[in-house]
Amino acid sequence: MSSTTTTARRTGTGRLARYFRSDVGARVTSYVFLLVVWQLAALYEERFPPPADALGFLWIEVSGGSHGGVVRGEFLEHFAATLPRFALGVAISMVLGVLSGVLIGGSKIAEALLKDTLLMLVALPAIIWAFLTQMWLGLGDDAVVITTFLSAFPFVAVNVVQGIQAVPRDLRRMSGAFHVSGYRRLRHMLLPAVTGYLFAGFRFAVIIGWNAVLLGEWFSSSEGVGWRSRYWYDANRYKGFVAWVILFVGFIVLLDRLVLVRLQRRAFRWRDAQLGETERQIEEIDVGATVS
Amino acid sequence: MSSTPVAGTSRGDPRLSLAGRRRVRGVAGLVVGVGGFLLVWTLLSELIFGEFTLPPPLEIGQLMWEIVRSGEFIHHFVPTILRLAYGFGLALLIGFPVGYLMGTSRWWRAFFHDMVMVAGSIPGITYAVLALVLFGISILGPVLSVGLISMPYVAINVAEGLDSVDRRLVQMSDAYGRRRPTIVRNVLIPSVAPFAFAGVRLSFALAWKVEQLTEVFGSSSGVGFQIRHEFEDFSIPGMLAWVLLFIVFMILLERFVLAKLERFLFRWRLEDRP
Repeated sequence: MSSTTTTARRTGTGRLARYFRSDVGARVTSYVFLLVVWQLAALYEERFPPPADALGFLWIEVSGGSHGGVVRGEFLEHFAATLPRFALGVAISMVLGVLSGVLIGGSKIAEALLKDTLLMLVALPAIIWAFLTQMWLGLGDDAVVITTFLSAFPFVAVNVVQGIQAVPRDLRRMSGAFHVSGYRRLRHMLLPAVTGYLFAGFRFAVIIGWNAVLLGEWFSSSEGVGWRSRYWYDANRYKGFVAWVILFVGFIVLLDRLVLVRLQRRAFRWRDAQLGETERQIEEIDVGATVS
Repeated sequence: MSSTPVAGTSRGDPRLSLAGRRRVRGVAGLVVGVGGFLLVWTLLSELIFGEFTLPPPLEIGQLMWEIVRSGEFIHHFVPTILRLAYGFGLALLIGFPVGYLMGTSRWWRAFFHDMVMVAGSIPGITYAVLALVLFGISILGPVLSVGLISMPYVAINVAEGLDSVDRRLVQMSDAYGRRRPTIVRNVLIPSVAPFAFAGVRLSFALAWKVEQLTEVFGSSSGVGFQIRHEFEDFSIPGMLAWVLLFIVFMILLERFVLAKLERFLFRWRLEDRP
């Protein structure tokens, strides 16, 4: 091992080998590996476009160029249609989720009455809401927004319930015994305990809501990211569909890794300080699996 | 000390009755909860939404019974559950080596890091439609989707499980001249298996949702296919009956079968389980 490092320092290819052995090198290698797999998949099934085709299509779509004929790239239009629906759906799910979470977490009676209903809602797949809202409301914004919030809100509620129940009972009893004021109890006992769970709930709401908004648009809209994906799919132009997959997966992955995970990590600092890297990773990939 | 047995029983009794009381309260809560839920549902359906928009629970209950009695339930359930099982098998098959590499080498950990971390946040529709494009209407789509969704959970858990392997046991096997494959089979795999299984259980809820979606898009049998069929018939009660049957079954499976299996696999580490 030591002999390879010395030669590595001496020669130019050695520097490359050292880069390859570094963490960044490993990640770059993994992306190259994925591209190769994709290329092979395209050879296996000719309907499935190779990376170059999909990326070329993606560029036309994003830059607003022509796909031939009158059809033009419409990247901004569709994101502009989807994002407000998505934001509204997630916002409603946060408000309703926090309210019902506080109700269920705070009251024994509400817990007995509503907890099973909540678990059932958590178990309902988003596709059911997409189908139901289409049958109830027809095509349009309402169906999409309602699909989004109905799919996401149970996860927020469950997390808030967990947060409230995570406040140690001794602490609650003690603050009762010492007549700690309501404000101080809220500020120093309840909020620190619930904040992390609230952020986790928000993160789930965003991830699950994004899936739901796409499904809602796939079935009951005539614009938006989900609709546009379906448009290319229905037109048998699979490279268009794959281009949109890159767009909507890229959107949620970047949002999650760059913003949400950091927020969650920050909010759970007090709890997870002693966790190892693996345990933290389990917390972070644990989207919607914590419940049940 | 001479009165130990007496003290034991008198101390034991209230504890027993406390547990019993708690169980009674749990069942009562469940009954009241479900009863209240059904009552509210019926009222909403009768008074506000109307029977077409929100069919009353009684109608759906009858339909569920009809589905079970006619044998359709078994007919579509078996393929769905089998695909789920194959998918989990695939996740274990790939997750084991991936987790092993991640747990033992820093380079491989970095290599798999991004794939493992994003798999859960990718919208399910991606798996469903890509599977349809790649494989057409086929069993491969649902199986691969389940495998891809739960593989990261298995891998990360296996990587963590490797830390828990008793080093002394490995050293001893080394000292007695056991070869690497023997150590892997007799020490590593038994220690890590429960962790891999815990990964499957963690991903269970997410995996069956994605599987259903895959069936909605590209399948000719299974619960998801049936849901799509009812949707195309504009039958709200039919759709709800299928999905509720499925959810009830899945929750029972999760609570009783998987939880028991996990406890069974972890039984040699009883000190870890409260």
